[in-house]
Amino acid sequence: MTTAGAASVRRSFLGHSYNLVGVVTALVILAWTLVAIFAPYIIPHSIGDIVDDDYFSPIRRGLWLGSDYLGRDMLSRLLMGARYTVGISLAAVSIACFSGVVLGMTAAVTGGWLDTCLSRFLDAMNSIPSKLFGLVVVAAVGSSIPVLIVTLAVIYIPGAYRFARALAVNINTMDFMTVARVRGESIVYLTGSEILPNIIRPVLADFGLRFVFIVLLLSGLSFLGLGLQPPLADWGALVRENIGGLPFAAPAVIVPSLAIASLTISVNLLIDNLPQKIRDRDA
Amino acid sequence: MTVDITNGIRAHDAMVENAIRRGASRRELLNMLLAGGAAMAAGGAVLGRATQAVAATPVSGGHFKAAGWSSSTADTLDPAKASLSTDYVRCCSLYNRLTFLDKDGVTQMELAESFDTKDAKTWTVKLRKGVTFHDGKDLTADDVVFSLKRHLDPAVGSKVAKIAAQMTGFKAVDKSTVEITLADPNADLPTILALHHFMIVANGTTDFSKGNGTGAFVLNTFEPGARSLVTKNKNYWKSGKPYLESFEFFAISDDSARVNALLSGDIHLAASINPRTMKLIESQQGFGLSKTTSGNYTDLNIRLDMDPGSKADFVAGMKYLVNREQIVKSALRGLGEIGNDQPVSPANVFHNADLKPKAFDPDKAKFHFQKSGLLGQSIPVVASDAATSSIDMAVIIQAAGANIGMKLDVKRVPSDGYWDNYWLKAPVHFGNINPRPTPDILFSLLYASNAPWNESQYKSEKFDKMLVEARGLLDQAKRKEIYSAMQVMVSEEAGTIIPAYISNVDALSNKVKGLEANPLGGMMGYAMAEYLWVEA
Amino acid sequence: MKFEALNLVLNRLAIAVVTLLIVLFAVFFATNMLPGDTASILLGQAATPEAVAGLREAMHLNDPAILRFLRWLVGLLHGDLGTSYANDMPVAALIGGRFVNTMKLAGITTLLSVPLALTLGITAAMLRGSVYDRTVTVLSIGVISVPEFMVATLAVLLFAVYLKWLPALSAVNEAHSLADLVRIYAMPVITLTFVISAQMIRMTRAAVIETLSTPYVEMALLKGASRGRIVLRHALPNALGPIVNAIALSLSYLVGGVIIVETIFNYPGIAKLMVDAVATRDLPLIQSCAMIFCLGYLFLITAADIVAIMSNPRLR
Repeated sequence: MTTAGAASVRRSFLGHSYNLVGVVTALVILAWTLVAIFAPYIIPHSIGDIVDDDYFSPIRRGLWLGSDYLGRDMLSRLLMGARYTVGISLAAVSIACFSGVVLGMTAAVTGGWLDTCLSRFLDAMNSIPSKLFGLVVVAAVGSSIPVLIVTLAVIYIPGAYRFARALAVNINTMDFMTVARVRGESIVYLTGSEILPNIIRPVLADFGLRFVFIVLLLSGLSFLGLGLQPPLADWGALVRENIGGLPFAAPAVIVPSLAIASLTISVNLLIDNLPQKIRDRDA
Repeated sequence: MTVDITNGIRAHDAMVENAIRRGASRRELLNMLLAGGAAMAAGGAVLGRATQAVAATPVSGGHFKAAGWSSSTADTLDPAKASLSTDYVRCCSLYNRLTFLDKDGVTQMELAESFDTKDAKTWTVKLRKGVTFHDGKDLTADDVVFSLKRHLDPAVGSKVAKIAAQMTGFKAVDKSTVEITLADPNADLPTILALHHFMIVANGTTDFSKGNGTGAFVLNTFEPGARSLVTKNKNYWKSGKPYLESFEFFAISDDSARVNALLSGDIHLAASINPRTMKLIESQQGFGLSKTTSGNYTDLNIRLDMDPGSKADFVAGMKYLVNREQIVKSALRGLGEIGNDQPVSPANVFHNADLKPKAFDPDKAKFHFQKSGLLGQSIPVVASDAATSSIDMAVIIQAAGANIGMKLDVKRVPSDGYWDNYWLKAPVHFGNINPRPTPDILFSLLYASNAPWNESQYKSEKFDKMLVEARGLLDQAKRKEIYSAMQVMVSEEAGTIIPAYISNVDALSNKVKGLEANPLGGMMGYAMAEYLWVEA
Repeated sequence: MKFEALNLVLNRLAIAVVTLLIVLFAVFFATNMLPGDTASILLGQAATPEAVAGLREAMHLNDPAILRFLRWLVGLLHGDLGTSYANDMPVAALIGGRFVNTMKLAGITTLLSVPLALTLGITAAMLRGSVYDRTVTVLSIGVISVPEFMVATLAVLLFAVYLKWLPALSAVNEAHSLADLVRIYAMPVITLTFVISAQMIRMTRAAVIETLSTPYVEMALLKGASRGRIVLRHALPNALGPIVNAIALSLSYLVGGVIIVETIFNYPGIAKLMVDAVATRDLPLIQSCAMIFCLGYLFLITAADIVAIMSNPRLR
C-alpha cells in the first residue's frame, strides 16, 4: 500500500530494519544531545557578555550566528539553549505521555468509578488556562527547573490521557480482550501486553506532537518567571526575545526557529521511521 | 572632507524635519546641515522649508487613530484612578486641568486664569469664565472644589491621595474663585495641579463612564480593555480647537505588532515604541519619530535596612559596578540619558548638572565587595518586565559582576502583582518611577524619612529639614541651591542606583502634524489629541 | 436506539455540570492563592495600607473570598454573572460582544481547518511512506514548530507592511461588507489554522494507519475492495473515536487559548479578557470567563465522546 521512494527502502542491520530517514533524524537528535551535554565547553563567548556594539548583526567573522537584541553572541546562546530545550522538554514530555497513557489505559480497562473520576478530574484540569496555572505555581512553590518540568508535564497529561483512553477503549471492545479478562489476567497484563502494543504507534505520534507543544510552552512559562532565569534561555525564549529582528531577517531570530524546527521535525520523523522491530509485531 | 553641495533634495528635508520633531534646536540643525556640506544659504532655505512644514496651518477634520501599549478592563475615565498612558490620553481628551506644562516645562494656565498667594500656604485661584461641560452645565468653583476634594476620600482610590493630602482646605469664594489652603507652604501648587489626576470633573459625578468634562472631545464609545472613540466638542472654549473630527484610541501590547500597525497604515501613531524598531521605521517612507526625555527611570534599589544593603561597602561596590554607558547603549539603544543616581532629570529646571555620574569601575567595585565580605556570595536581584528594561539592565550588571567574581542571581518574576510583592520589599530589586513635575514631589514620595515609596529606606533628618524648607520658598534661586544639595545627598547616601533617564519615542505617520515633545511624557504629555491635525 | 441515545446525552450533560462545578471551584482556589487583590492591584504603585483599606471597603471586598464566590454562584443560577470589580460594569455586558467575536473567529477557523486536516491526514495515511506523506509530515510539524507569535508577526510583515494586501489589525467593528470581513479575518484565521491543524493531521494519520493494519481491513482487501472504499467504510468508522478526540482537543484551544492572536491583531475576544481579569483579580469576571472556557471545552469533548460511542457498535 505504500509507494516506496529511495529513502523509505528498508535495509537490515543487527536484526532490525531501518531506513535513511530514520538514520538521519536519529543523528540530528544525537547531535543536539551532544551539544546540550558539552555546551559549556564549546561556546566561544559567555552567554551573558555583550560582545557587539550593534544589535541583530548579520553573520560575520567572530559572530558566527550574528548578535542578539542586546549585542550578545547568538552562537553561544544557541548552543547553551540546547540543554534546556532538549533536556527539559524531553523530561517533561516523557512524564506527561507516560502518565497519560498509563492512566488512560487503566481507565479504559477498569471502567466504572475509576474511569469516571479520572476523566472528570483530568477534563477539569484541561479547562484551567495554563497561564493561570503557571502563575499559581510560581506563587505557591517558587520557581526552579524541576518545578518547571513538573508543571509542563502536568499541563499536558490530560491531553495525552484523553487520546490514549480513546484508543484503548476501542481496543478494549475486541474479542481477545474479553478472552484475556475471562482468563483472569491482571490489569497490568491487560494494559501492558494486550492494549499497549496495539496503541503504541498513535501514542508515539502523540508523544512527538506533545514534545513540540512543550518546547513552545517552555518559553511561555519562562516569560512568567517560572523556570529559566536570565541569562539562561531556551530556544523558544531566544525566538521570543529577538522577534524584533524579524523585519531584518536577523539570524538572531531565524536560527533558533530553525533549531527548534530541526529538533521537532527530527523527533516526529524518527517516530514515523523507527527501526521496524520495535514497532510492528507482525512485520 | 568632500564638500557635498546636495542641498535641497528631499532626503535632507526629511532628515531635518525628523530632527525638529526630535526636539533639536535651530543651532543643532544648522550644524547638521553644515557638517553635511550644504552651503550656508541653501542650508537656511532647507531649514526654513522644514520648519515651515512643522509650523504649517492646521487642517480641520479627519479621523485619528492611535495605539498605546497597555490597556485592560481596569481602564477608566475617572482621572483620580488614571494609571498609565491609555487612561491619561483619554482623560486629556475629555477633561481639562487648572494648569498644564508646556514643552519647556513651564507651568501655563488652562482652566485657571491666575494663582495668587502671599505665603505659599493660602492660594486664590481665579477660574476662566464661559467654560461649559459637555452636558451644557457651566464650570464653577464648586466643580473645582469637588474635583480636588475627592482625592482625599479613600473610597475613591485616588492615585495621588498622598500628594493631595497637602491640600487641607477648599473654599468656593464665589462662582469663579477658589481658595485652597495647604498644610504647609508649598510654592509648587500650580505645577502640582498640572498632574493628570487633578483634572476637573463636574460637581457630584459618581459615574464616570460618560466622560462628562470641559475638554476638546466628547465621549462616543468606551469599552474598557478594548477601545475608546471620542468626537469633536463643537463648544470647546479654546476656539479653533480641536482640529480633529474624531479620535480613536486603543492599545497593542506587542511592540512589533504596534509598529507594524503603523507601517501598514492601520493607525496614525504608535506610542512608546521599542528602540529596536526604530531602524525599521526609519527605513520606510512617510513616517517620523518624536523623542521625549521626561524623567522616567528604572532604578536598582538596595534596601539599606537589611542585608546585604546594610553593609555600606556593598552599596558602594554596586554603584561602581553599574556600567551606565553600556546600559544606555545596549539596553536602551541610545534612547536615554545617563543618570547620576538621583531622581531629578535634565528635563527639570532644578536638575543639578554639576553632579557627575559615578564612572564604571570594576576594580573599585571588587575592592568594596571584598571589604564587605560579600565577594563570591550569591546575591539575588529581583527584576521584572513591569519595570521597563530592568531585566536587560540586570543581565548587564550580572555579567559585569561575573567578571570580577561577584555572583548576582537575576530572579525574573512575573509582572503580575510586582508592585505588590517585590517592589519596596525585596532586599535588592528594580523599580520604575514615572516622571513627576517637581523635585518636591519626587523627594517627598521617594526619599523623605516617612516617604510612602522610600525604595531604599533612606532616612536622614537633615534631608527632611531641607525638604520642608525648600518647599515653602518662593525664591527660585534659593530653591535651586537647596535642591541641588539634596540631589547630591541622594546620589551619595541613598541605596537607589539610577543608571539612566529613559527616553520615550513615539512613531507617527508624516500626515500627522502638531506633535511636540513634552516633559510630562510621550504623546505630548498625553495631551496630544487637541493639538494634532491630520493632513489628507 | 433512540432511548439509549437520549440516555447517553442526559448522562453526559450531568457529568458536564459536575465537571463545571469542579473547575469553578478549582479556578477560585487558584486565584485565591495569587498574592494581592483588586484594590491593591488597581492602586498599583499608589497602594499604601490606608489607601488599600479604604478602597477595599468601598468595593465591598472585605467579605471573605469564599463568601463572595458563593454569592456569585447563586447569582449565576439566576442568570446574573455579577459586576466587574475593576470597572463596575456588569460582567455580561463586558463579555457579550467579545464572546460573539471569539465564536466568530473559532467558527471560521474550524470551517477551514477541520476539512483541511482530515483530508491531509487521511490521504497521508493512505499513501504512507510516499513523498506526499513525508511532505505533509514535515510541513505540518515544521509549521507547528514555529511559535504562534512568530507566524502572526511574519504574516503581518508580509501581507500588511510589505505587500499591503491585508490590514494589520482586525477592526471588526469597521466591517461593512463580505469583502471587508474576508480581509479582516484572513490573517488571524490562517495563523490559527496553522497552529491547530498539525495536531489534527498527525492524529488522524496515526489513527487511520492503525486501523488500516488490522485484520478486518486485510479481510476487506482480500475480498477485493478498492482502497478508497476500504478507508471510508472500514477503517474510518473505527478510527473515528481517536480522530474526533484529537479534533476536539485542538478546537478547544480556539475558545480560550488565542491570546497571542488577539494581542497581535487587536482582536477583541475573550482570551484577553480572562488575562486582564486574572491580572486585576476580578473574581466575577474570572469565574465567568472560566465558566465559558470550560463549557466550550466540555461541549467539544462531549460531542467527541458521543460520536466515538456511536461509531463503535460494541460501545453502544
